[in-house]
Amino acid sequence: MKRRAILAFTLDHPGVLNKISMLIRKKMYNVDTLTVCRSRIPGVSRMTITLRENDQARVDQVVRQLEKFTEVISVKELDTDHSYWREVAIVKLEMDASVLDTFHGRYNFEILEQKSDDIHILQVAGSTRRIDAFLDEVGQEHIVEIARTGVTAMEK
Amino acid sequence: MNGKQLLLKALKERKVRFLFGYTGGAIMPVFDEMEKMGVFEFVMARHEQGAAFMAQGLSRASLSTSAPQIGVCLSTSGPGAMNLVTGVADAHMDSVPILAITGQVATGVIATDAFQESDVVGVMMPICKQTYMPLVADDVEKTVHEACYVATTGRGGPVVIDLPKDVQNQQVKDDYRFDSKKFRPHLPGYFCNPTPEREPIKQAIELINKSERPLIFCGHGVINSNAGDLLRRFVEKVNIPVASTFHGLSAFPADHPKHLGMMGMHGTVEANRAIMEADLLIALGMRFDDRVTGKLEEYAQNAAVIHVDIDASEIDKNVKTTVAITADVYRTLHVLMGDPMVTCIPRRRWWDKINSFREVMKDDLREEIEVGVGNDNKLLMKGIVHRLSEVTKGRDLIVADVGQHQMMCARFYNYQTTNSWFGSGGAGTMGCSLPMAIGVKLARPKERVWSISGDGGFQMNFQELGTIMEKKIDVKIIILNNGYLGMVRQWQTFFFNGCYAGTPMQSPDFGLISQAYGIPYRKVELLQDVVPAIEEAIACEGAMILEFVCDPAEVILPMIPSGGGFGDMMTRHPHAPKKDQTKQGEAA
Ligand SMILES: Cc1ncc(C[n+]2csc(CCOP(=O)(O)OP(=O)(O)O)c2C)c(N)n1
Ligand SMILES: [Mg+2]
Repeated sequence: MKRRAILAFTLDHPGVLNKISMLIRKKMYNVDTLTVCRSRIPGVSRMTITLRENDQARVDQVVRQLEKFTEVISVKELDTDHSYWREVAIVKLEMDASVLDTFHGRYNFEILEQKSDDIHILQVAGSTRRIDAFLDEVGQEHIVEIARTGVTAMEK
Repeated sequence: MNGKQLLLKALKERKVRFLFGYTGGAIMPVFDEMEKMGVFEFVMARHEQGAAFMAQGLSRASLSTSAPQIGVCLSTSGPGAMNLVTGVADAHMDSVPILAITGQVATGVIATDAFQESDVVGVMMPICKQTYMPLVADDVEKTVHEACYVATTGRGGPVVIDLPKDVQNQQVKDDYRFDSKKFRPHLPGYFCNPTPEREPIKQAIELINKSERPLIFCGHGVINSNAGDLLRRFVEKVNIPVASTFHGLSAFPADHPKHLGMMGMHGTVEANRAIMEADLLIALGMRFDDRVTGKLEEYAQNAAVIHVDIDASEIDKNVKTTVAITADVYRTLHVLMGDPMVTCIPRRRWWDKINSFREVMKDDLREEIEVGVGNDNKLLMKGIVHRLSEVTKGRDLIVADVGQHQMMCARFYNYQTTNSWFGSGGAGTMGCSLPMAIGVKLARPKERVWSISGDGGFQMNFQELGTIMEKKIDVKIIILNNGYLGMVRQWQTFFFNGCYAGTPMQSPDFGLISQAYGIPYRKVELLQDVVPAIEEAIACEGAMILEFVCDPAEVILPMIPSGGGFGDMMTRHPHAPKKDQTKQGEAA
């Protein structure tokens, strides 16, 4: 199923997230990722929702129904060709420092803390695919814990 | 000033006259203040659902008058608010502006499972247009004005205000100022531009002019924008046939030569066949509900679609639109009416076709109505509704419940008065009729109002006879008693091999019920008594109940089976002896 990102600017009111997630549930989607942050305008939040759907008409319908909410100011679908989709992961790894060194330069990460000889906490930023590739290369067996923000997106 | 005073002050400024409701702990301060103010007429329902439907009736019926009013219903927290839910959800489905004000437990104990606490905002959010919960007295007045604005503008809908008890009693701050005249709600995400844009209008005119088989759909939006008369003039100018949705009925004179009647599952043959054959649909203020379209893949396959609706999210929702006009129906028609580019074409072949569709069931229906009785000489609903229509010359206000009798009222009453047809469409809530009729009567006291229910639906809200008794409300009540949940029985006959599971029903003696409420009553079993009984009810001062003993085997046809397409339309009872088969073929 095709991954879709929907960008919404909403009033920063209680219940807005509830309303939006209820609509998405009513439309029988499972939210893939959802990020909310402040926007440039005071009192207005910026929300990026990703979900999976092949049918363009159904996505357009979600956009229109979101737009209908009184608290939602504008909504747009962002596609990967014309926008940046990025996320951040914090990963706790059990791995020799020398091995980790080999990843430098190829992936965009930063070591936040080295807890012991072989326990590192690091931060990786990039596209979902890039982060997945990094984690694959590291190998599941080395990952102790992982936290990902989910996608935030911006038009090019 | 405190919260409850500001609430009532704002309602008064919004020209609210009637408050429908039921008291209880969490709303008592508001009731107390209301009583002291003495400016509202309080109508006590016997169940909060009744109050919500009364509010709907008032909003809907007053819409076309010189003084539109918003229906307001009040309830206490918890069970009171939960009893409003069905009425609010129903208003949401049918785009009816009402204001539901619910008391809530005090802010200090919210979310502690306090006595009679329910998460009203959480429950109502997906079934209404907007919810509010003012947390300080300073916000109350502004909230009421904004709520009324949201409920009544754009596509109308119910709005809920959940008001904690301590906020009702709280004093405003010393520097509190509010000027309702200057107040404009700040709603940057609320769009309702009623004016059509030029470009789609131009495209629409092009489509209309070149179409050979156009068809206009008259939806609820025609009534809501008071565009009925304008539509009639437009249709007469452009010579295009009109089919109505369930809620579009009574916007347009039912027997107008250009009118094909109701469309959809139980629509007329002519409306449904015209949809199948049309090359252009001009949909005015309607939402292509599945009861209207049947199977979408087969719906109006040859037609381009001009869709006019105030709600942008309706465009392309069910039916792909060729030209979308997101605007108010009245304004759109006004622009089309004034545009000299719109031409009038005789379209003789199209009208010939339509007239042949009109013949398909005409004789059968005429015969049934004339005979007026079915098995065991029991009355046929269609005959009763037809006779009611004749006696009242189609001029009265009809509030139907949900079931076969509802479809009979939609099909066989000859609506002549604009905005004279009320009921529950999108939700199809049994029990709506009696309380809704009370609201309709209060909105239009000079007109005659008929509440028409089945034996099933009547018993869902007949506690509201108490309100009718107490307030001496002049509603003429008809019970079409077929001893069954008839509409479901019809489906069982057609699609479940006549297995009548859960549909036969024993009813109380409605005569004794009427007596208990002090309302005159007549039971009618014979055809020759139908018209005299109707006349008696008309002559009766105040409410009267007429019970008609109806044939449970009567069916409403045509019928497009649920999920079927227009090609599957049944025009005959599937188990009826097949008489002349040719007629249908000829018309096709
Ligand atoms: C609250 C509610 N419950 C159930 C239904 C399903 N339903 C639709 S029509 C109908 C039968 C109505 O029976 P009655 O009121 O006797 O009217 P009739 O069809 O016999 O004219 C039922 C049960 C409904 N629409 N609303
Ligand atoms: Mg019945």
